[in-house]
Amino acid sequence: MLAASVLAAAACLVAAASRVSGGEDGRQRNDIQADGPGEEFFERRIRPVLAEHCCACHGEKKQESGLRLDQPQAALEGGENGPVIAAGDPEASRLVQAIRYLDDTLQMPPDGRLSDEAIRDLEEWIRQGAPWPQGAGVRAETGTDAWRSHWAFQPIGDPEPPAVKDTAWPRTPIDQFILARLEAAGLAPSPAADRRTLLRRLTFGLTGLAPTPQEIDDFVNDPSDEALSRAIDRLLASPAYGQRWGRHWLDVARYADNKGYKFFGSDEFHGYTFRDWVIQAFNDDLPYDEFILQQLAADRLLAERGIADDTRSLAAMGYLTVGRRFLEDLHDIIDDRIDVVTRGILGLTVTCARCHDHKYDPIPTADYYSLYGVFAGSMEKTRTLYSAASQTEAEREHECQLAAREAELDQYFEKRHAELLAAFRSQVAQYLLEGHKAQSLPPTDRFMFVEEPDKLSQLVIGNWRAFLDRTERGHDPVFAAWHAFADLPPSDFAAKAPAIAEAIRANADPARPINARVASLFEGAAPASLEEVADRYGQLLAGVERQWKETLSEAAAAGGEPPARFEDDALEPLRRVLYGPLSPVDVPITDVEFLVGRPGQAQINELRKKIADFVASSSLRPPRAMILDEAPALCLHQPRVFQRGKPSNLGPQVPRQFLAVLSGEGRKPFSQGSGRLELARAIVDRRNPLTARVMVNRVWLAHFGSALVPTPSDFGLRSEPPSHPELLDWLATRFMEQGWSIKQLHRLIVLSSVYQQRSDDRTEASRIDPGNRLLWRMNRRRLDFESLRDALLAVAGQLDAGAGGPPVDIVNPPYSKRRTVYGYVDRTNLPGLFRTFDFAIPDTHSPQRYTTTVPQQALFLMNNPFVIEQARHLAARGEIAGEANPRRRIERLYAICFGRPPDPDEIELGLGYIHSGSERRADPELTPWERYCHALLLMNEFVMLD
Amino acid sequence: MNPDPVQPHALGRRELLQRTGMGLGALALGQLLGDSGWLASSAQAANPAQPLAPRAPHFAAKAKHVIHFFLNGGPSHVDTFDPKPALAEYAGRNIPTGNLATERPTGAAYPSPFKFKKYGQSGIEVSELFPHVAESIDEIAVIRSAYADLPNHEPSLMLMNCGEARLIRPSMGSWITYGLGTENQNLPAFVVMCPGGYPIQASQNWQAGFLPGIYQGTYIDSQHTDLEKLVENIRHNYASPAEQRRQLDLVAQLNRRHLDARQQDAQLEARIQSFELAFRMQSEAAEAFDVSREPQHVLDLYGPGTHARQTLVARRLIERGVRYVQLWHGAGQPWDNHDNIEANHRKLAGECDQAMGALLKDLKQRGLLDETLVLWGGEFGRTPTAELPAGNGRDHNHYGFTVWLAGGGVRGGYVHGATDEFGYRSVENRVHIHDLHATMLHLLGFDHERFTFRYAGRDFRLTDVHGKVVQAILAI
Repeated sequence: MLAASVLAAAACLVAAASRVSGGEDGRQRNDIQADGPGEEFFERRIRPVLAEHCCACHGEKKQESGLRLDQPQAALEGGENGPVIAAGDPEASRLVQAIRYLDDTLQMPPDGRLSDEAIRDLEEWIRQGAPWPQGAGVRAETGTDAWRSHWAFQPIGDPEPPAVKDTAWPRTPIDQFILARLEAAGLAPSPAADRRTLLRRLTFGLTGLAPTPQEIDDFVNDPSDEALSRAIDRLLASPAYGQRWGRHWLDVARYADNKGYKFFGSDEFHGYTFRDWVIQAFNDDLPYDEFILQQLAADRLLAERGIADDTRSLAAMGYLTVGRRFLEDLHDIIDDRIDVVTRGILGLTVTCARCHDHKYDPIPTADYYSLYGVFAGSMEKTRTLYSAASQTEAEREHECQLAAREAELDQYFEKRHAELLAAFRSQVAQYLLEGHKAQSLPPTDRFMFVEEPDKLSQLVIGNWRAFLDRTERGHDPVFAAWHAFADLPPSDFAAKAPAIAEAIRANADPARPINARVASLFEGAAPASLEEVADRYGQLLAGVERQWKETLSEAAAAGGEPPARFEDDALEPLRRVLYGPLSPVDVPITDVEFLVGRPGQAQINELRKKIADFVASSSLRPPRAMILDEAPALCLHQPRVFQRGKPSNLGPQVPRQFLAVLSGEGRKPFSQGSGRLELARAIVDRRNPLTARVMVNRVWLAHFGSALVPTPSDFGLRSEPPSHPELLDWLATRFMEQGWSIKQLHRLIVLSSVYQQRSDDRTEASRIDPGNRLLWRMNRRRLDFESLRDALLAVAGQLDAGAGGPPVDIVNPPYSKRRTVYGYVDRTNLPGLFRTFDFAIPDTHSPQRYTTTVPQQALFLMNNPFVIEQARHLAARGEIAGEANPRRRIERLYAICFGRPPDPDEIELGLGYIHSGSERRADPELTPWERYCHALLLMNEFVMLD
Repeated sequence: MNPDPVQPHALGRRELLQRTGMGLGALALGQLLGDSGWLASSAQAANPAQPLAPRAPHFAAKAKHVIHFFLNGGPSHVDTFDPKPALAEYAGRNIPTGNLATERPTGAAYPSPFKFKKYGQSGIEVSELFPHVAESIDEIAVIRSAYADLPNHEPSLMLMNCGEARLIRPSMGSWITYGLGTENQNLPAFVVMCPGGYPIQASQNWQAGFLPGIYQGTYIDSQHTDLEKLVENIRHNYASPAEQRRQLDLVAQLNRRHLDARQQDAQLEARIQSFELAFRMQSEAAEAFDVSREPQHVLDLYGPGTHARQTLVARRLIERGVRYVQLWHGAGQPWDNHDNIEANHRKLAGECDQAMGALLKDLKQRGLLDETLVLWGGEFGRTPTAELPAGNGRDHNHYGFTVWLAGGGVRGGYVHGATDEFGYRSVENRVHIHDLHATMLHLLGFDHERFTFRYAGRDFRLTDVHGKVVQAILAI
């Protein structure tokens, strides 16, 4: 790549001695020609083209690739990939390369080639030295401050419930907020639902199960307000509550029971311990801030709180680790973790900033990589869950043996990491040449699995390429010489190298100094080829490496602190090429897996298998968790921006820290290890305007089927504002005040009049507010997949209410009777049953479920043997089969299935069906009563909640 | 999609339901409502109560259905549709332009062991591997300049199917069924057939991604012939159809009472209707998948074997209004012939060529080719140089390869673009997979830049921020 700054550097080096590579003598070619006849040409022929075709993406509003072409200074500086205009030299200008459309990877403007005339004009303009009248650019304010007034970033308020006209209706402050808006819209709320409907709504809502006929009778017969409170308390205390609400959270957490498609790596997966932890956390009403802290950093909390002998909370970290594996691409795995944390907990679409600053929200790419650094600073591991207090001797022994095997794996990673880095440091000459070659190739993502341990690493070549690109842009005292030589065409190398060598030795320009050690490389005979230059650099750095190691071992022998740097100011920059934070050999330890090639991968798999085999062979099989563990301090990788999201395209270094938009003025980089615990604390800080609002909104969504903020995982600038902003804040404030208690939040909501409304349509109200955004009625809803399957088992008297444990197959016979939350969620191939009933697709975080109505749902209910089995069990229940009177049988079936008595017509329809049927026909499979029971399970009333 | 509760959108439906009263079953309600285009709307937002109801695209277009032959593993373009005589000149020697980096090292030029011949009025050359397809060459636009991004199966499969190599994005079939719905509510809208198991990357190839799950491809292991293994829950094994009808009539009666007590509710109506659709689906699906109902001359046209059967099923599905059918060659990656390509490619082409050729002729003869867009290709092509050390196979090649389109408004008898002299790299009128997708969407009536779905705060497209419609491929 012939970037203009290369030429500039070379031109400087040779001072006025001779012409090198066609530069214009003595003058920095990035100078702007600001006057003369070019001005008119620019105004007439160039500015209109730039304005029309370029500035939409490279102008005031947007600066794709960091480039803007609406101002002279910025245009000539170029973008993140360096200058695009080499004044005077169209052939060396990437802008010209782009508009010619000859290179597949660089074609601008993207929507079509410019006219030949326009291309000729731009070439001519650059040939003239790219004259740009001074002051002609308009430097406008970049960015916009619209976000500063965005509702979601304002502190959470504690508004007074508004006054309302109808003072009889509100039971709680929530109702005042709702009613005020209804009244303003000229709407009245709907009357309260009957007790039966209310209990059904509550019971399904809080536990995912239907109330029993007895529970309904008790509730209907006790119309006191205390009865309602008692029912709510009873439901919240039931273990079924956590099984229901835990599942809501598992949607957020993209929960599945396996990794999904994978090419290699271990199959080991312990998602279910996370599922059980979540369920238990809901049942225990673990405060939501603590709930989040443990999911992000339970490992750190154990250490900090001195409770390392009780590891059971580590299961919480499944929130980070149950995601898909993206063919083990670490960058994508981290992206998924950033996504589940930011969309799931903060309602921010931070992963939009992976490749460019967020288009709408105040999330710069740098912030994305700050979070990236947090997660890259941890390694995934599995750990046994135990409490030392209740651990047996055998369990302790098991744990010891396991730890030994795990240490073997860790040591392997550390050993290979050290070896790899040592090898990369010793191969500078080769990598320099390869990195240089790569500079002229179009940027490509790295291929998968092509790393062969005996060959140069593609990853490291990419690092060198980025390193060279970077050092080429400014003036780098160590590599300026390299760039000057690298710029020579091979045919002219021998002829022109002596002049460059001379200039380097002279080291005469104080503004562009050459590192003394580097300058001394070019004493004596000038290099005959670029390979020779690479060799000299290689030897120099190999010497530096030796010297540094000696320095370290001397310091160790003397028993002192190991030195952090060389004293010698010429040596230290060289050391930093090999050890500095921007060193091209600095690869994270997690990448070892990709760098060791197939034999190394086999070794890693063997070590993993040893662990898995040991676990499998032990009769103890204690539950395990998939956790993140802090990487060793030495391996802690300083994050850098990946420009355009490409790991090979390294940008500036960024600190590990929280999002700027949520940090206020005094944002400080995280200082403890990876910063994961600090991140978690920043997220649950009460001053954070999002965490409480987002969760309150999710809980509201689950109760009403529609949320106050209609996009529950996106509270950004493009989201629709809340229907009731004051209510959202009021709830969020109460939520935090009441110790982040989710159960208290439920009580607040379900005790309100708005929750207890009827769900029937009202034509006039529907005309004013067709979407029921103002909640003039309760939304009528269909049971979701889990509730439907559980309900089928429950009415059949078959439901196994047992809690916890490894997942069970619920798709194939013999059919499990466990609650659906315990069903095996196969991410590799989510069974049709799950998809048909709108289950949360576990590939990514799921903000809310869809509700579709398709015949495949009907087919399952009509024909699947599981459903038929439940119909048979229902008919065989003691109170049904044991009841001789067919009318009473129907009454009992209605009580079981719908929680109400049938009306006389319904009884007649049922009897008519049963008696006119074909009992004598050749349908031996089902009796008429069984078929009737089956029919009841197909009914709308069975799956709909009023 | 609108997350708000479902709104009634077809005012006449309730009235219709009332008028037709209780005896819904025999009435082809699905046809009246779903198939007539009543519910068709140009609005992009699908209605959750009728997510598969037919919808109009952005503009009128010929193509209404898609059949995608996926030759998974990567068929060699220089052995099929892109003859390269220069390879013979360099047989056994290194090509002068140098080998490109692919997944594995390759060596000398490896001339095609297959003979090419000109076909049709267009005189386009096709190798002896695909003589039946070649007979319809004048219907085909051969894109010899396709290219992708990486020489690995996984990302290339994802790119071809979902327009994105790594991240989770909806497949093209999901996008298109989301955009157009389907014309037959009694059959799945997007059917994926692969005999013997899954291709690499399994169901991710037909994933709905962030679109509702209903738009995901319905996978069918087409090695089976038993209907129940082909379509889940399709058969009622516990009563005669008449008895089941009687039961569903009872359900409908009881549901009507339930609905009447609740006045208007589109959600409840839609669910009532879904049982009628399901009932009809039972017989219709059985019929659609039963190729034995075809006359002998049609069976003869397609030939024997699994591929013939699944290809014929594809035609029967398209004929019945199914929107998108993807036909994979087989489990794993059968076309991935790193060695022994001569024998392997011959065997594989032998399994599918006749059926592919038959499909084109059959569709044409039935007047369906005009409205059916057929895509043929793998996830990439193969190197013109021999893979080392075996020397008789070819490595993956994403730099340049061939796919072809036929029917559905495609310019037939046309070769678009070219690879270099040896078939390594696409050099002329290059067509990236994003461009292919943009073009296919165009043929189906969509402006790929406006065909979006809002998710996680962003409007997503099949073509992301890429893609140009290849105008030259469009029939005039």
